[in-house]
Amino acid sequence: MSVSEATSSDTIDGGSTSEFRRGVVSCVPVLLGTIPYALVLGAQATQKGLSAVELSLMTGLNFAGGSEFAAIQLWTSPPHIVLIVAITFLVNSRHFLMGAALAPFLGHLPPRKVFPALFFLCDESWALGLADAKQRADAGIAPAFSLRYYMGAALAMYLAWVGFTTLGALLGPMLGDVQHYGFDMAFPAVFLVLMRGMWKGVAAARPWLVSLVVAALVYLVVPGAWYVAAGAVSGLAAAWLMAGDA
Amino acid sequence: MIDMATLLTIVLMAGVTYLTRIGGYVVLRNRVLSARATAVMEAAPGCVLISVIATAFVSRNPADLLALAITFIAATRLSMLPTVLIGVASAGLLRHVLG
Repeated sequence: MSVSEATSSDTIDGGSTSEFRRGVVSCVPVLLGTIPYALVLGAQATQKGLSAVELSLMTGLNFAGGSEFAAIQLWTSPPHIVLIVAITFLVNSRHFLMGAALAPFLGHLPPRKVFPALFFLCDESWALGLADAKQRADAGIAPAFSLRYYMGAALAMYLAWVGFTTLGALLGPMLGDVQHYGFDMAFPAVFLVLMRGMWKGVAAARPWLVSLVVAALVYLVVPGAWYVAAGAVSGLAAAWLMAGDA
Repeated sequence: MIDMATLLTIVLMAGVTYLTRIGGYVVLRNRVLSARATAVMEAAPGCVLISVIATAFVSRNPADLLALAITFIAATRLSMLPTVLIGVASAGLLRHVLG
């Protein structure tokens, strides 16, 4: 089910259970791409000497896949704590922008509900929650942001991530390279569909093109995860400049 | 079963990650944004999303690029699940066929 189908269905004004379920259901296509990666991360971690308990602690407390792949890549025994924590921060710095984009939709919620909910903020739960909020706003539904929808998607993601990374650690290196099966294409697919939902015409999309070009170039030239930060920041700079023209 | 240096690393990772998650909300809630800042915030989600998947656009594998083109076309026309299935299937098949 697409986000647009989900929001246009009659479950919108349904009870809290149906909102939660709507979130879980919308997350299912995303899980298709996540589960193979979770298994691989678990398998890689055991090769680096982490136990299944240690890995499930990491994925359960940190819950940010990109930074965990980076951490496992850099893992030694004993680990370089400062290096790994710094890389974790760098890879996850995009959360600042994500939280900032979400903030205008969270005004109706008390901080005591927002702070626990933000623990579960990841690319997928954020993208689904925000796309849903934008569509509900366009449809005139208030409040636009559905916390239960978001939590449905986020908890589905969380349980799948922690569960399948742990399973990967237990199964160990029996698993091959999942990239051969094409599951990694699920992420571009999900993100592109979400971006179509945010489409407001060619002019509004020009910053996206700037982000794409800069991120791609930085990725080709600079090692590490800098390309995400570079692409995002240059797109924002472009948006800032273009808003001045108008 | 749990090494202390490992535990410390994991707890610190989790700490900085949580800070990144609440940072944007803590700084921006209860603020009225200018028109320009609103324009930037509206562009932000797409900028982050496209930057995360930018690596796929510069793959050196022709099978990956072809699969991405197919996925892109599917994404402009279809809903989430069919697009994901077409993306995964085309990437899997094209990598198998083209090597």
